Amino acid sequence: MTRDFFEFFDLPRNLSIDTKDLEKRFYALSRKWHPDLFARKSEAEREESLEATAVLNDGYRTLREPIARALYLLKREGFDVAEQGSKDVPADLLEEVFELNMAVEELQDGDESARAQLISARQRFEAMRAELDAELQQKFAAWDAGHDKAALTEVRAVLNRRKYITNLIAKANVPDRV
Amino acid sequence: MAYSDKVLDHYNNPRNVGSMDKSSDSVGTGMVGAPECGDVMKLQIRVNDASGIIEDAKFKTFGCGSAIASSSLATEWLKGKTVDEALQIKNTDIVNELSLPPVKIHCSVLAEDAIKAAINDYRSKQTVKADVGQMEHAVA
Ligand code: FES
Repeated sequence: MTRDFFEFFDLPRNLSIDTKDLEKRFYALSRKWHPDLFARKSEAEREESLEATAVLNDGYRTLREPIARALYLLKREGFDVAEQGSKDVPADLLEEVFELNMAVEELQDGDESARAQLISARQRFEAMRAELDAELQQKFAAWDAGHDKAALTEVRAVLNRRKYITNLIAKANVPDRV
Repeated sequence: MAYSDKVLDHYNNPRNVGSMDKSSDSVGTGMVGAPECGDVMKLQIRVNDASGIIEDAKFKTFGCGSAIASSSLATEWLKGKTVDEALQIKNTDIVNELSLPPVKIHCSVLAEDAIKAAINDYRSKQTVKADVGQMEHAVA
């Protein structure tokens, strides 16, 4: 198991992170572990600096991005992120997804009238994603308040829905005009 | 990843694509989706109310080849079965028939879920009808 990113950066296991602070830590640790400083050290120490540099870069990339950070924490806390059922997707959303796919297909078959429908669908989905992001902030705060696992279940539920919406936005991403 | 011949056959030549009137009491509609990939599947059955036999099944799937093949196969299997028999269809049967690799198992789960959802929908319509019938009876 690789080193825990939160520990490595000496951060509490919180989902809300001050990215400015994270950046500062990143630079400080980069200096500390810089391979040049280890050039004349023992083989083992050089190894260690290389490893630390790899964790540093992965960790920084993961922690600075809220979704990646949340997925990472879920995994470390033992939540199986891949296991997601269709059950927590509301029925009317499915209905809409289906309609959207129909419209994409019609457009591919050359039916231009489907384009307007797709554009408005995309706008609606983008609005939904914005709502989910706001909800995610709240769930993050709920976890941060007491590191209660139940809060993570809710984080995962929102992430599932968000993934769905993100897929849809990609699908509905047709050019506005021919 | 290489698809098996059976998957390719269903994919290139899907059986029973289409839709039925979902407001009809004899029709059950199942709509399911997989959040991981954003794929959706609609599966419908038309049941003979007297015999309880599934007379027709249709599907429309927006998804990967395995999901299309799974739902296509499911509609073939459904026709001629009673509703109770249909409930016995397991995703593992689909996996075996189509030789789906482990990463594609969730696609077959989608088909099983769709069958269950369609049957549930049909059954709930039937109970509503029965309730209404009884009420009318009571009033008369
Ligand atoms: S990959 Fe989505 S159903 Fe197969």
